[in-house]
Amino acid sequence: MKISMPANGGTTCRFMRPRALQPPTVQLGNSGIDPPAQVPQRDIIDAQMAFFGTGCIINEQVILQDQEGVLAWVSERLAVAMRQAEDLILRDYIVSAASQIFAGGGSNGDNPTNLGVSDFSLVATTLDTNNAYKFMSGIEGENKFGTSPIRSAYFMLSSTELQSDFDGLVGAGFQSLWNYPSTMSGLPSEYGNVFNIRILTSSEAPVARGSSAKGSDVYYNSVLGKQAITHINQDGYSMNLIYRDPYYSGMLAQNATLAVKFAQAQALTQDTAIRNLVSTRLSSLGV
Amino acid sequence: MAEYSRLAKGSYTVSGGTLGVSAPSVKIVNLPFKPDYVELINYTQAATPAQHGIPFAFWDASVPPLVISSVSYDTVIEIFNATPVLTTDMVKVGGGISVFSGGLSQQFGATQQIIGITKASPARVNVTAHGYSVGDTVIMQGLALATTNNMQLLNGVPFTIVTVSDANHFDVQWDSTGSNYTALSASPAGALVKKVLYPFLYVPEDNVITAMTLGSTTTVQTSMYSNLEVGQEVAFRVPSFWGPFQLNSLPNVIIPGSPIYGYVTSITDNWTFVVNINSSAAMAFTNNATMTAATLPGLTYAQIVAVGDVNTGGNLITATSPLYPSPQFPGSTNRVPTINGPAIRGAFVNNTSQGFIIGNAASRTDTSSWVGGSNGDVIEWRAYLHDFSSP
Repeated sequence: MKISMPANGGTTCRFMRPRALQPPTVQLGNSGIDPPAQVPQRDIIDAQMAFFGTGCIINEQVILQDQEGVLAWVSERLAVAMRQAEDLILRDYIVSAASQIFAGGGSNGDNPTNLGVSDFSLVATTLDTNNAYKFMSGIEGENKFGTSPIRSAYFMLSSTELQSDFDGLVGAGFQSLWNYPSTMSGLPSEYGNVFNIRILTSSEAPVARGSSAKGSDVYYNSVLGKQAITHINQDGYSMNLIYRDPYYSGMLAQNATLAVKFAQAQALTQDTAIRNLVSTRLSSLGV
Repeated sequence: MAEYSRLAKGSYTVSGGTLGVSAPSVKIVNLPFKPDYVELINYTQAATPAQHGIPFAFWDASVPPLVISSVSYDTVIEIFNATPVLTTDMVKVGGGISVFSGGLSQQFGATQQIIGITKASPARVNVTAHGYSVGDTVIMQGLALATTNNMQLLNGVPFTIVTVSDANHFDVQWDSTGSNYTALSASPAGALVKKVLYPFLYVPEDNVITAMTLGSTTTVQTSMYSNLEVGQEVAFRVPSFWGPFQLNSLPNVIIPGSPIYGYVTSITDNWTFVVNINSSAAMAFTNNATMTAATLPGLTYAQIVAVGDVNTGGNLITATSPLYPSPQFPGSTNRVPTINGPAIRGAFVNNTSQGFIIGNAASRTDTSSWVGGSNGDVIEWRAYLHDFSSP
């Protein structure tokens, strides 16, 4: 979920989550006496806004003489850096804040093990039991060779380095995006699905190098329900690209600046709807 | 030529350490930039010359470290000899003045061989010249794998060091006195430890439970600093292997689907706190379950996770705090403010930062001197990031 914190709202974004009331499963009887009232309770979740930014100083001689339109490509790189920062902050936050399930369905004998199909099933079962909302409804089957229906699913954010392990699960439960009834239903970063989990891969997914029991790389595969996490930006401050003409630098007006800044906070708004499925890898990495 | 330079200065009073006897605590200075030059003035030791005193120290990122006997040195110091007259010395890379930029997690220091682990509570780890300090977080691997020795449970758990008994030993929050633990010794092959460089970028965080005392309230000990506040709401994730799975937030037999949360009612120390959940009827916590060679793969650790926070307002203002204090971490002692502005206590906070560190490694020649001074010394620091540096 993504929300915007209103301007002039202070430094901290506050969420309120009502607690469930006890279902009245005891009959009233015929005494005419009301049952005692319940006390409504709520949980409070706060997230502190943080500000980020970076920029470049560009000498006017470069702007004047460079044939590549330096302001254009530096602006582009700054924008990419900013969006990457948003993702990396959220990534590290999820790794830090969400609880973990260690993969045990794999065969490499490590702790955690590599991913086995039972791990996908376990995490989906856990989130289902916790009443997490799935992100995607299922995809109905079509009469096409090699395809089969896709279950309604949670998303799992995973590393591209695990793709060869996923391929190794073909026939055991993994289904490639290209075996969906309609590839139009897939997301650009989607690699496939296992049971009730659709897998999105990224080269920037969290990996703790050499930190398993056997010293192998540990992957944090974040499996999310829809209500698990909230990304908060500051109203009117989600992205600012700032160009300052050399006129504003020293007395000789030699240097322009290009910069980006943004504000972001994040919170687990439903801790029961997210798990980091922690795993190692079975296959070797290419170089 | 100072349009884009960054200049900063400040002072502090040294905590820990005795002149000529023991090292002070590591000092972390957060700045809005990563300096390329830092200098220190120890006013106390400059005013009262005495052997081992270091009144001045300098570090420059642009100067390649000096390699002497295969060790790299980069912090230059002025030091009093026995007379006492000022002379010079150096401190090795990373042990004197160094810079840091903590913005991304999953970064680690160099691996070191573990010589052994003692059966003790807390467990004592033996690593030659480990260089760690209390508050550093480490992670171990390769311990007693594929055996029935429960020391293998320490693998992969991030531990914030409790005590450093000497240069070769440190303690972690794990009770390894149980009958199923066998001490490790003789540098087992593959038994390694490394430092987690930035373990608390986002607080509060998920944490491994290492001990629990059950009763009308529940006392919890975690492997890392808990970074929790009194009043904070928490949830348990305890696989049955560890015992008290009855404390888990779900399932809830009274109100189906409604997670069971508890509140932190007091904080004992950086690792230990009390939760208001009555756990009298729960199974006892144990880390002494009988292991087989096949138990470890897939074993999920008992965890506690912050789910909500203090409903009673912002940070308390004390006589020495700023008017609008930032959230602080870690837990109950040695609290350090984040670089953010004010926030409600217990909020999810971004704790990324950058700046420089004054380490606690001994000087090269006079190994009884430390650049960070000794307890009570007043040190002024000046940090710079230059517009122009050659090279």
